[in-house]
Amino acid sequence: MGKQRTHQYKERIDQALAAPGLQDALHRFGDAFLIAREKAFAGLDLEGLRESIADMKDDVRRQHDRYLAEFVANAQAAGATVFFARDAAAANAYIANLAREKNVRLAAKSKSMVSEETHLNHALEDAGIKAVETDLGEWIIQLAGQRPSHMVMPAIHMFKEEVADLFSRETKREEPADIPHLVKVARERLRRTYLEADMGITGANMAVAETGDLVLVTNEGNARLVATLPRIHVALVGTEKLVPTLEDAARVVEVLPKNATGQPITSYVTWIRGAVPCDDGDKELHIVLLDNGRSALAESPICRDALRCIRCGACANVCPVYQTVGGHVFGYIYIGAIGIILTAFYHGLDNAAEIVRACIGCRACVAVCPSKIDLESIILHLREVIGEEEGIGAGKSLVFKKVMRNRKLFHSLLRAGAKLQKPVTKGERTIRHLPLFFSSLTEWRTLPALADKPLRDLWKDIPQKVDNPRYRVAFFAGCLNDFVYPELGLDLVKVLNRLGVEVLFPLEQNCCGVPALYSGDRESAVAMAEQNVAAMLEGNPDFVVTTCPTCTMALERDFVEHLKDNPVWAEKAEHLAAITMDVARLIVEKLDGGQALPAKSSGEKVTYHDSCHLKRGAGVWEEPRQLIQSSGNELVEMAHADRCCGFGGSYSFTSHPTVARRILEDKLQDIQKSGAACVAMDCPGCMMQIRGGIEKQEQPVRVVHTIELLARNLD
Amino acid sequence: MKKTEMTNQFCEAARVAGAEIHTPPDAREAARLIAVGAGGPVLVPAFPSGDRIGFGQLLRDAGCEVWDRDFRRQGAAATAGVTGANFALARTGTLVLESTAEDIRLASTLPEKHFVLLDPRKIVADHQAAVPQLRLFSRRGPRGFVAWITGPSRTADIERVLTIGVHGPRELHVLLLDGLSDDPLES
Repeated sequence: MGKQRTHQYKERIDQALAAPGLQDALHRFGDAFLIAREKAFAGLDLEGLRESIADMKDDVRRQHDRYLAEFVANAQAAGATVFFARDAAAANAYIANLAREKNVRLAAKSKSMVSEETHLNHALEDAGIKAVETDLGEWIIQLAGQRPSHMVMPAIHMFKEEVADLFSRETKREEPADIPHLVKVARERLRRTYLEADMGITGANMAVAETGDLVLVTNEGNARLVATLPRIHVALVGTEKLVPTLEDAARVVEVLPKNATGQPITSYVTWIRGAVPCDDGDKELHIVLLDNGRSALAESPICRDALRCIRCGACANVCPVYQTVGGHVFGYIYIGAIGIILTAFYHGLDNAAEIVRACIGCRACVAVCPSKIDLESIILHLREVIGEEEGIGAGKSLVFKKVMRNRKLFHSLLRAGAKLQKPVTKGERTIRHLPLFFSSLTEWRTLPALADKPLRDLWKDIPQKVDNPRYRVAFFAGCLNDFVYPELGLDLVKVLNRLGVEVLFPLEQNCCGVPALYSGDRESAVAMAEQNVAAMLEGNPDFVVTTCPTCTMALERDFVEHLKDNPVWAEKAEHLAAITMDVARLIVEKLDGGQALPAKSSGEKVTYHDSCHLKRGAGVWEEPRQLIQSSGNELVEMAHADRCCGFGGSYSFTSHPTVARRILEDKLQDIQKSGAACVAMDCPGCMMQIRGGIEKQEQPVRVVHTIELLARNLD
Repeated sequence: MKKTEMTNQFCEAARVAGAEIHTPPDAREAARLIAVGAGGPVLVPAFPSGDRIGFGQLLRDAGCEVWDRDFRRQGAAATAGVTGANFALARTGTLVLESTAEDIRLASTLPEKHFVLLDPRKIVADHQAAVPQLRLFSRRGPRGFVAWITGPSRTADIERVLTIGVHGPRELHVLLLDGLSDDPLES
């Protein structure tokens, strides 16, 4: 089952990668979205709005029963019939029975993701009732027999020629592939549906407890017609759409369109309270409140923030993986980062098992989420759960449990590896080709060889030129720095010594555990956290410095989380987190901005690549730019400087190399267009990826760690 | 008409959203403007600020074919609808129309053009400023249908190309008219 599922998933990836125009369309949309979003929020306190939405949604979760009862009482007092559906089947059965009872033959629908979630159209079809989607995008995909590939723009993956073909089949005449014309066809065609339908089905963006209002946020105007013309109105609403007051609803209306499409507001915001007049009588309003996994989500302390989601879809818009493969791969019914989480709870772990690994962990979604959901952390947790349920693969499991947890064994194997690789590296620092079935890994990037001697073996011979040090700082090197790029350690010592800092290298430090965690092996990650906390605090350093932002996140965030319930380690982990920082931040914040370092005008144009975990994890992005400039370089910004390079650790090696390769190609293009002779970054993982790509393409651009740029001036 | 800062902000935002703003000197001129712009039969539901000045008659005087009943049957054939507005939001250029009466809903959704009479005194700042009014609506009667309307109907569902006028009106005309009403509880 699992194998077949994985195979089908990989086929879908290949198809998406081969789809002409898809990636270009999604990239352009992502770019335009960010510009429009920034403009829409100009002059508003975006952070304040995000926090207030997160707080409000958390309040709704905590007092869910109270707000639900208040909403139901108000809606009933206004003449609505309210049905509580435990799951999708119950919701569909209620609506299908109602339709049969009332002799409904045709139902007009406006866009509702919840009805996609329950597969309502199929249920109605089985009951002999025709359901017609009236939202343009939904109608297109209904005619195509597909599912939405985006929560706000369901047909974003399709092109006007395909739409023209679909419409021509429907109207039985030749419809030209002209967008205004196609929109007109939809208008004329669907107008009859509203007038003839006996039932209108909508979703709702909010259900206001204070008044019993349903709020619909739309652009096309179809929802207004669907809610007005048919004599029966069914609103299918997820229980997480509750908001306490009208003020809260107005705040969501303030944020939702801006964060969804970059519009200041949608054309229509419709507030429907109860059974309003309809023709000569009153409308029959049925509100179906759907649980379907939502209360289970509320019970999960690690995942429950996902209930804050207001369905803007922005997490997909900015996601490099979504932009590369689209929503038919990166999603189930709900798509993008939030889609992974909702799928696990609403459609079961099995349906989420592949896409939970599709996240590259770049946190672009976390930065754009209007409800401050830490989507990446929740996805990581789900990966652990699936790892426990299904196993993470025998090979990987063995590596993490038997090898990496045993530091001495892991490091001896790496040392042995440095010798064994000689036939492949031929003594060079990079691997350009790998034999046999590994060859695809070096098709699109070279890989660095393991260093002859790791940093830990070189350390005792590195001279420390510092008298009366201001600080004693322990260096957490991380595996790449230690075993692949030991020269970065030498540069670090040189630079920090000049700034009056003595650097220690605790030899008991091990892998930060992130690779194990990202693969779903939390147990090994926790074991490594304990080892590292002990090792790094051993010499009682003033600070712990890193050159790898993923390690920084592990020390600053993950260790605390892993060890928080452990009386022996919790406090130590907190202390380690408090004194850990990336080297650029250390220099700027604690070492006078590196004023004591010489500035030498190199005349070299340097562009900067923001590593995901440095900018969106550690919040460091201005500091390295400041250092690049103060050391005498000309900083030129590339487009999408903070977009992921596609490394993602094992993501680019084993789980999704073909996706990683495309994401790297985007990055290389941006670097080239910047016109810089050198690209700097603060992550050895990004270096491996970007340097590998640039070497393979034979571009004349140097790839350096910021610490190397600073050290160069000291030679 | 005296233009306050709030009015200017409303006009600017509404224009950006694709609405057309008109400032007729009086109601008679407003009716003439609609008669010319509508280009066919016009749905005119009952609304207090219009009824007080006999706006239906003014439209007829201007040569308009006014339909004031049986909107469900006639709606599809009308080229325009005329309504008032309860109030408006300056920052987004939004009209707030209490449309519990079905005729107001039909006049503002079915025809291709929607003409709205708005007294500029009814313009409030933003979303949060709208909330006390919404609360008053809900206290006045248990059932209600309130529409926030900003610009014409739009879609970007095909290739993300903005296209105006999919299911709702293709044109939204706001006629700023002094002295109509300053009561947000009526349209």
